[in-house]
Amino acid sequence: MSNSRFSVAGAILAAAIVLGWSTAVSAADIVLGASVQLTGPSANTGRYYKDAYEFAIDKINEAGGVTVGGEKRKLALKLYDNQSDVNLSVRQYTQLVSKDKVDLLLGPFASNFALADSAVSEKYQIPMVQGGGASDQIFSRKFKYIFGTLAPASNYFGTTVKMLKELDPAPKSIALLYADDAFDVSVAEGTRPLLKDAGLSIAIDEKYSSNASDFNSLLSQIKSNGTDVVLMAGHETEILNFVRQAKSLAVAPKLYSFTVGVPSEDFRKALGADAEYAFGMAAWLPSADLKDRWFGDAAAFAKDYKAKFGYDPDYHAASGVADVEALAQAIENAGDTDPAKVRDALANLKLDSLYGPLAFGENGQIDLPQIVIQVQGDAIAPIYGAKGFVGKPKYPMPAWNAR
Amino acid sequence: MDVGLLAQILINGVFLGGLYAIMALGLALVWGVLNIVNLAHGAFIMLGAYLSWYLYAGLGIDPFLGLPINAVVMFMVGYALQRGLLNLVVRAPMFNTLLITFGLEVVLTYLAQLAFSADFRTINPPYAGNSIALGSLVLPQARLMAFGVAVVLTVAMWAFLLRTKLGRAIRATAQNLVAARLYGVEPRHLYATTFGIGIGLAGAAGGLYGTVSQINPYIGATLTAKCFAISIIGGLDNPLGVLLGGLVLGVIESLAVLYIGATFADVASFSVLVLVLIVRPRGLLGKAA
Repeated sequence: MSNSRFSVAGAILAAAIVLGWSTAVSAADIVLGASVQLTGPSANTGRYYKDAYEFAIDKINEAGGVTVGGEKRKLALKLYDNQSDVNLSVRQYTQLVSKDKVDLLLGPFASNFALADSAVSEKYQIPMVQGGGASDQIFSRKFKYIFGTLAPASNYFGTTVKMLKELDPAPKSIALLYADDAFDVSVAEGTRPLLKDAGLSIAIDEKYSSNASDFNSLLSQIKSNGTDVVLMAGHETEILNFVRQAKSLAVAPKLYSFTVGVPSEDFRKALGADAEYAFGMAAWLPSADLKDRWFGDAAAFAKDYKAKFGYDPDYHAASGVADVEALAQAIENAGDTDPAKVRDALANLKLDSLYGPLAFGENGQIDLPQIVIQVQGDAIAPIYGAKGFVGKPKYPMPAWNAR
Repeated sequence: MDVGLLAQILINGVFLGGLYAIMALGLALVWGVLNIVNLAHGAFIMLGAYLSWYLYAGLGIDPFLGLPINAVVMFMVGYALQRGLLNLVVRAPMFNTLLITFGLEVVLTYLAQLAFSADFRTINPPYAGNSIALGSLVLPQARLMAFGVAVVLTVAMWAFLLRTKLGRAIRATAQNLVAARLYGVEPRHLYATTFGIGIGLAGAAGGLYGTVSQINPYIGATLTAKCFAISIIGGLDNPLGVLLGGLVLGVIESLAVLYIGATFADVASFSVLVLVLIVRPRGLLGKAA
């Protein structure tokens, strides 16, 4: 027997572990299935969901598991890597329900994935609770088996627009930039009427390709127009490039705000001091006021999470944990793992969690107000919430050479 | 139309084009001489970017001063890869070369994720965001420097291919292998050297790319597509053609964003590609077929 044969076997074993084939599942476990982006262009955020799902399931199991009909049962996770490929993720969800026979489903990251994958949960009538897709399109199809824990994309800039009206000096003209995918298009469609109602004029309204890396032309137009505020709905890669290129072209509007990136530690690490002044939003911040059945409260959760994974959880991670908790509580409320019964329990769910109060609307989506945040120093400062200012904004943004 | 804005957009386009050109230079060289369309070219640019990142973040070596290190390290990688792997497909049908370089790009990308994680990184020397003001125009300093490097490297490549013995041997092999061998050219070493130079250029381009953009393991594929388009627009015979191709593409993309819309940048660049294929199939500076 040669060594090489052992190493081949070792490699296959390693691959099996990576792909999650070896997840130990005992007969009585309630199996939750999911396919997330562990590799490929969306892996940066996709991994938050893997960590969140595993963390929540471990925590619930530590507490004894889920009580179903007087009997304690453990949760288990069956996870696939969809390699950031939508088509593959649809096949994997189909496999999860038809071949692996998982009991219930957790979602993927990103709206375009949730949009496609929810067709599978609907077809097989297995409820999917997903915390990675916010696009209104996902919830506008009258599907009965899809539940979402991200606030609606159309309202991502809602709180920000409210804040704009109270800033001094008052901003007048807005540039709205957005990528051409399901989430960002929903954000733009929702933001336009909000701006109109607020009496703000949209000077630039521009859609760009999702893989764009060069924003010099758009930035030059923003500068030439003298636009006060830039609202950008895109992916973190694009936003990083946008900020870097804004600096190198000396483009400094009074304020810019981004749908993603700002709450994550990675964003501040990649940009360093240039991350300062960037506005963003989060439906969740790790506050001790958010009590939780399993984790105590959100602040304790954030501390444990950082200790375990080495990075601060942002709202994606909290949303992922909320998905698992929603399913766990719904199973207990239903007293059964039957998909239809769990589905009805989800629809009637009322649970105070570390992510906030979990209750799904008629369309299956949660409604949480966004909190406006800003990078100040090397931390995230909450600026504006449902009741007005909660922090002092650094506004207007100074010119790049005056920092 | 605002003249100042138009001038700024043109400058943006030219600088972008310089960056494009240096990214495409290696691809065009390898394609022209070895007849290998290296689909892993973008992945090598990505590796070069990470190398610069580590040199800067770890050892404090300025990304521009570190470019020679990039070029030498990546040259050695390229030389070894050609001798060990790609030499198998030099005379093989095009399909085999596409298959093997595509496989290489997948392997490199996933190894990069294992080694570097999916974290986004930027090479951020203090001057990276600086700019020079010329009246109302703004010249981003890092892009200006990258553009300068691109022009210097292109002209150097051109002179190298035209004037040096090795350069002439490379061109001779591309034109007529049998005749070149009769004159004493040893193709194995020469192919590996050419591939090494191509990858060395990709490595240098990666360092420049990292100073103006963000880096993650997945940037390679889109960069390969850009380089492919530039090589066709500029032609494979002449590095100056590649520079011209890059500039044309950069300017057209920038103008498309201004006049048509940001989603049309790629549409515009690939339309130019198709147009060039119809009108001048051997590239803008290519000799008539």
